Amino acid sequence: MKKRYALMLCLACKTGYASEEVNESDYYQELPVVLSASRLSQPLSDAPNAMTVIDRKMIVASGFRTIADLMKLVPGMYVSYYRGSQPIVAYHGTTDEFSRRMQVLIDGRSVYMPPTGTVSWADLPITVDDIERIEVIRGPAAASYGANSTQGVISIITRDAGSMDGKSVTYRHGDKGINDAEARFGKRGDTYDYRMTLAYTADNGYDSLTSLPNGYTMATFKAPGLLNNSNDSNQARMLNYRGDYHPNGIDRYDIQFGFNHDVQGVGFNDKNPSIYNSYMGTNGDPFHDLIGNSDYAQLGWTRQLDHGAELSLRYSHSRLDQYEAFPVYLAGVYFPGPVVQSLQSSRDEIELQHTLPLNDSNRLVYGAGYQVDRAGGQSAMPPVSQYYSSSYVYSEYRAFAHDEWHITPKWLLNLGGMFEKDDLGQFNTSPRVALNYHVTPGQTLRAGVSVAYRASSTAETSYPLLQPGALIIPAPVMNSPGLQPEKLVSREIGYIGEFPEWATSVDLRLYSDQLSNGIYLSSTARSFVNGMTGEYHGFEATVKHEFDQDNSLTVNFAHAWAASNGVLLAASGQKIMVSADPSNSDILAASIPGNSASALYMVRLPHDYSFSASGYYQAAMQPFDRGAIDYQPAERRIDVRIAKALAVSAGVKGSVALVLQNLLNQAYTEYIASNLFNRRGYVMLTLDW
Amino acid sequence: MISARRIPALILLLLCVFASDVRAGDFRVLLVLSDNAPLYQRFAKAFMQDLPQGMRVDQLQHAEDFDSQKSDLIISVGVRAAYRVAEKTSQPLLAAMIPSKSYEDLKETRQGGMSAIYLDQPWNRQVEMLHAVMPNRKRIGVLYSEAQEIAGLRSELARRHGTLIARHLGGKDTLSSDLEEVLSASDVLLAVPDSEIYNANSIRNILLSSYRRGIPLVGFSEAYVRAGALCAIFSTPEQLALQTADAAVSYSKTGRLPEAQYPEQYSIAINRSVASTLGMVIGTDEAIFLQLRKSSEDKR
Repeated sequence: MKKRYALMLCLACKTGYASEEVNESDYYQELPVVLSASRLSQPLSDAPNAMTVIDRKMIVASGFRTIADLMKLVPGMYVSYYRGSQPIVAYHGTTDEFSRRMQVLIDGRSVYMPPTGTVSWADLPITVDDIERIEVIRGPAAASYGANSTQGVISIITRDAGSMDGKSVTYRHGDKGINDAEARFGKRGDTYDYRMTLAYTADNGYDSLTSLPNGYTMATFKAPGLLNNSNDSNQARMLNYRGDYHPNGIDRYDIQFGFNHDVQGVGFNDKNPSIYNSYMGTNGDPFHDLIGNSDYAQLGWTRQLDHGAELSLRYSHSRLDQYEAFPVYLAGVYFPGPVVQSLQSSRDEIELQHTLPLNDSNRLVYGAGYQVDRAGGQSAMPPVSQYYSSSYVYSEYRAFAHDEWHITPKWLLNLGGMFEKDDLGQFNTSPRVALNYHVTPGQTLRAGVSVAYRASSTAETSYPLLQPGALIIPAPVMNSPGLQPEKLVSREIGYIGEFPEWATSVDLRLYSDQLSNGIYLSSTARSFVNGMTGEYHGFEATVKHEFDQDNSLTVNFAHAWAASNGVLLAASGQKIMVSADPSNSDILAASIPGNSASALYMVRLPHDYSFSASGYYQAAMQPFDRGAIDYQPAERRIDVRIAKALAVSAGVKGSVALVLQNLLNQAYTEYIASNLFNRRGYVMLTLDW
Repeated sequence: MISARRIPALILLLLCVFASDVRAGDFRVLLVLSDNAPLYQRFAKAFMQDLPQGMRVDQLQHAEDFDSQKSDLIISVGVRAAYRVAEKTSQPLLAAMIPSKSYEDLKETRQGGMSAIYLDQPWNRQVEMLHAVMPNRKRIGVLYSEAQEIAGLRSELARRHGTLIARHLGGKDTLSSDLEEVLSASDVLLAVPDSEIYNANSIRNILLSSYRRGIPLVGFSEAYVRAGALCAIFSTPEQLALQTADAAVSYSKTGRLPEAQYPEQYSIAINRSVASTLGMVIGTDEAIFLQLRKSSEDKR
């Protein structure tokens, strides 16, 4: 009896244990669909476009502090700065200081803002450390992303709400006033995850030019003030929050908001009110601060439907308000002024999308969206007794559909289109067709044709004749009401090869793009008009190789050339189309760097060390809208980063890193001759707990 | 001596015997399900199909209903039913749909004839699947808590030139950091049935964390593959039921229970979207299945 009791007791305790022990419910339980269609990025070999992905590892290894600089790792991308805090990111060479032919998205929210249709990178409320990865579509993708994506799309995906469970602080300190402090914390829960960033970033932009550029003499250099011309410091204070509420396995709510208060130095020394500058007209832009406040809120809802289908709804609100005040010097008379300008811009956007697998080999994504852009500005110019304010509201509807059809395991057809209708009466259809042929499972050939439009920006339809300062305040009355959208027709052939036996992948692309109805500033009409035509051709290559699991190399190369009707336009009196490059009379052709390349090598070393080195090359070019003095010579730059991971104490980890940019001090200038970049370095400390 | 508390059970047993219309010579099987959940119903339905003549099957829908009823063979379905039957009787027991570890534990404490049709797949089969699906990913990460026995996995992996990156879970609060540790050194994360680590609440963060690093998760059920695991090898209730029925027939003929055995029939599932997103080129299901078959034949 006693023995049996003991046995039964034991069984009882076993039974009690069994509830925690593995049983069949572990094997057969239902689980929520986590990696749903919208979570999974399309593999390169199935994509209808050429695409470059910059992931977290590359972001860290590059040592770059700004999102714009990361674009140097994309083949064929031109990255430069008008000022130290105003990047120009453009594909196919430069346009002007407001590069506006790229669509830029953060978690699906477009961040190019009215009235100029450009991205104010310094005012974005995220840092590079908030980014999980960046997907860059090279070539137009208007069929999926709408107007403004005529050259390509930069899609920034921020880190998931659930990407961290704990706290982290980072501090960077270095040359040129580099001073960044970031604190982030996050929590993962059963139904709610969140993360939050508080950051302060600061630097003093470019180095000062202390000798004359490009062999110019002081006599030809009309403005001695061009030396030491940089007033391009930047300080940003920001906050961003991302929450993810997933109450069940079906619904997911994405909650985001953020804020950035940015103070950037603007203006030029040669436009300072001073006795040297009596030649100066009314276009005064002395050293002063440009103050920006930007914020955003975004709400997303995604619902998993049966058979892999998915419904998603996204609403976002973005706002950017900027302000500047400065004195001017006018026809030899100093006006304490001040000239005061302010600009308010905002965008509200709502989009509904349905992802519908029709069968195992065919998936349809379609949806519709509506957006309202507002731009208002005030300009008070006492020296010229000019005062005006302007206000514009534009709304736009769009509908889109994209079908991905695996006709056979070897043939994939991507067919899509976007239909857009705006208040100005423009109705555009941007179709795209791409055919991918999987020669073998690891090798793909792709051929595609697409059409994209870029709607004119408010700054173009309502171009202000007087532009003191850094802001473009749209004129109160539209002066180019009939401006048509620019049109780009792109044709491309691509090859993607995976060679697992050599741990190597290859991505090649040949393209030919035709621009028509190009918008330019007419020297005769003093307003924006259509009439520029151009063509871009090029070849791009990316090769990745993994020497072993801790040791990899990525190399990008691009060769491009262009032609336009610039010579004809120049001959017809369009002074703006006169090429400043004596060796090339075609202004568009001269503005394209023929060859460019970048390489990134990463290695993990013993004892928790890691090392990376990157190199960048860009051939000489003449920035599109700059004078001969700003001719941009060939640019070579090597950056290195060395880091060591530390186990500070139980539960506290950290790392220390040293980044040296332009290691060999091969000083170069970009976009403006006074934008000089010498060797600089910073150290970075991180603690995680 | 019959204790007073056993009398109701005895009455029940007598009632059972008199109430049934069992023909003499029939082989009587009592199928004891853990409960009436669809999972066990699927097993029972498959088990009842194509039974040989002369086999008579009674069913108990809830393990709690079992109270020493007499039968030629008792088949428990699920862990709870196995423990209940083991506790109540020493009649011959065939424990179906039970993890091998649970069965080993049970065997230590019970007397009487007993065998099992395991629920889990043997380590060598799992290793062969890893090898067939992604031969180049050699560092296999496993996060486990108390209940797991993974020494067998280490030696099986070594046979295929793989390395086991095993980490013991520090506690519920350290799941995130332990997982990151495993992921940082692994090419693949192999999920093991362990509700402390893998459950409907935690699977989301586990899958997202591994996906962020480009590391595939290998699950142990179809649900894992639907959720976002790259692949899984598993046996369905129907497959287990057929093997159990075969064992029951063999027992009815020979009077000897076969050795406890792993599932003979199994399925594989592959999430092709996850594979292509991770840039992995994987053969067809049929090709992988054939390779698994071949490697198991080679072993024999």
